[in-house]
Amino acid sequence: MLFVRPARLSDLDELERMARAAQPVLHSLPRDRRTLETRVALSEDSFRAEVDFPGEEFYLFVMEDAKTGTLCGTSSIVASAGYSEPFYAFRNDALIHASRELKVNRKIHALTMSHELTGKSRLTGFYIDPSLRTPEGEAAAHLLSRARMMYVAANRKRFSSEVFSLMLGVTDDAGVSPFWEAVGRKFFGRDFEQVDMESGGRSRTFIAEVMPTYPLYVPLLPGEAQRVLGEPNRRTLLAYDIHLEEGFEPDRFVDIFDAGPVLTIAVDKSASASSGEWRPVRDGAGGNGAAHLVAVGGAHEFRCVVAELTGTRADGAALSADARGALGVAEKDTVRCVPLHQASGELQ
Amino acid sequence: MIVVRCVQPGDVDALVALAQETGPGLTTFKPDRGALAARVERARRTLANDAQPFEAGYFFVMEDTATGDVAGVCGIETEVGLEQPFYNYRVATVVHASQDLGVWTRMSLLNISHDLTGYAEVCSLFLSPRYRTAGVGGLLSRSRFMFIAQFRDRFPQRLCAELRGHFDENGESPFWNAVGSHFYQIHFNEADYLSSHGKKSFLAELMPRYPVYLDLLPDSAQQAVGVTHRDTAPARKMLEAEGLRYENHVDIFDAGPVLECHIADLRTVRESALASVRIGEREAQEGEAKSLVSNTSLGDFRCGATAGAVVDGAFLLTAGEAAALRVEEGDTVRVLTAQPRAK
Repeated sequence: MLFVRPARLSDLDELERMARAAQPVLHSLPRDRRTLETRVALSEDSFRAEVDFPGEEFYLFVMEDAKTGTLCGTSSIVASAGYSEPFYAFRNDALIHASRELKVNRKIHALTMSHELTGKSRLTGFYIDPSLRTPEGEAAAHLLSRARMMYVAANRKRFSSEVFSLMLGVTDDAGVSPFWEAVGRKFFGRDFEQVDMESGGRSRTFIAEVMPTYPLYVPLLPGEAQRVLGEPNRRTLLAYDIHLEEGFEPDRFVDIFDAGPVLTIAVDKSASASSGEWRPVRDGAGGNGAAHLVAVGGAHEFRCVVAELTGTRADGAALSADARGALGVAEKDTVRCVPLHQASGELQ
Repeated sequence: MIVVRCVQPGDVDALVALAQETGPGLTTFKPDRGALAARVERARRTLANDAQPFEAGYFFVMEDTATGDVAGVCGIETEVGLEQPFYNYRVATVVHASQDLGVWTRMSLLNISHDLTGYAEVCSLFLSPRYRTAGVGGLLSRSRFMFIAQFRDRFPQRLCAELRGHFDENGESPFWNAVGSHFYQIHFNEADYLSSHGKKSFLAELMPRYPVYLDLLPDSAQQAVGVTHRDTAPARKMLEAEGLRYENHVDIFDAGPVLECHIADLRTVRESALASVRIGEREAQEGEAKSLVSNTSLGDFRCGATAGAVVDGAFLLTAGEAAALRVEEGDTVRVLTAQPRAK
């Protein structure tokens, strides 16, 4: 039974193991043990803190196999993106170029450096063990990704009313981003990874400040760069779909480095907030019903699993002993349940 | 003698005939009788001090006085951009740098500019292919600087000249294809036609309003910026010899260079001098350099080229030359003495 919970300092060994395996390197999961420790400590403090509005909190979740105690994934939430510095994204604006005299009316898109996402809560740091990147592991990926929104929905004060998530942009077989080649490279003359490394682990903001200050006209970019604008990387298609299931939508924003899509959601309209219901726990065998995200706990303690539930709220949540164990609940406790897939979702 | 003179109302027929020699491509001088008559009338009003500043402009024709054949035209606009805005791109430099990242990148940015508003502009030069022999094109072009030197107070401080930009072997403008075409979806020739028919500022309003990073454009477009059309290279050389320079302004459509300078720095303004006319005989010598000579009349300005130099404040003209320039013994002429040929 897999379940998601906040990371603890005692997870450091396991986290380090995953950090070393993660490809590409995740900013939320640094390979350096001391840096990693700082991140986990910040996360523990964040979960512990009494928070009235989002600040510099950082929440790191891990997915644990209850049977073996090993960890098999991480995901995280930055409570306020760019808390102490601006968070940059390109906003894809439509400009109308019209002339009555010449009977011309053209819509031209231009990418403008925007700080609009600054201060919004951001989902990040998704890493799942390679052994779970199979069709059977799909439910685990849903759990690991969407447990974050279950936490957000249960702790509204800790997060902004709108949440976003940045998807990896398109790269070719050699890992080269056509967008970076057409834009970033012109400003840096180097590979993105190299710039990222040379920034000495500083924020992306730091790098962004060397990027173009004036809008970039999309039609003037090379065709290859235009084609990948707002397109998710093949490797993140599942993550992309999972976000759509939650209710995220592609917005006008793209990443400034690889033009990967920025997905946004109003928390009110997220599946976790709008289609969740509290159900009392019942003893049950599990299975046969529809898959649900089942979560328990408030701000400080939090656990989430995927379980199959039948019936309605009145029928309660029949959970197997494993599930109850993973959640740390007993009969008559209440759990929050959200269908994993939207009934009307055309994405299923 | 071949002279360049101010256009006269009676020249319209000859202008229409001359314009028929232009063929496709050159769009500023078309056999359009109405437009040509209006241009002649505008020049007349300018000379008569009867034109508003925004419309003031001079127009000259080149005539072979032996035959009365009108074989070339050229013009000067007194102050551009006072009615429809005068658009250019200014090629600006921006440096994106971060010491901590070890980055220092110099980039070029194209900014829409009206910097040249109020400049005088030398323009509309066309010489019949029948007369494209040594020195004639130079006379036609440089006669304008003689006019400016003589009537300095009729002009502002600065002057510019727009030159046609680079076109590839297929007659396509790589700059237009990389920039302008996306904003209009019409062919360069169509834009050029509209532009020469007073629609340039309408077109300009459709152009990118934000600066364009030159370095992000295709190489072929980058390389066309500030580059002169093959056929215009001699004109550029002549203007540069006169003192005009490329100062990072280019055309918004084909990125052809705009050359500019302070009028006070024009070679003709600095070096031409007044002299009194002496009429006499002179033996022509093979290959001798020619000086530019003009009269000092505003309404009947005439400029020609002949051998000789100012000696003791006087310049020797043959009787035929004096007649062609409409001057008599003792009249004042302006002379730009031929420079010795570079060795």
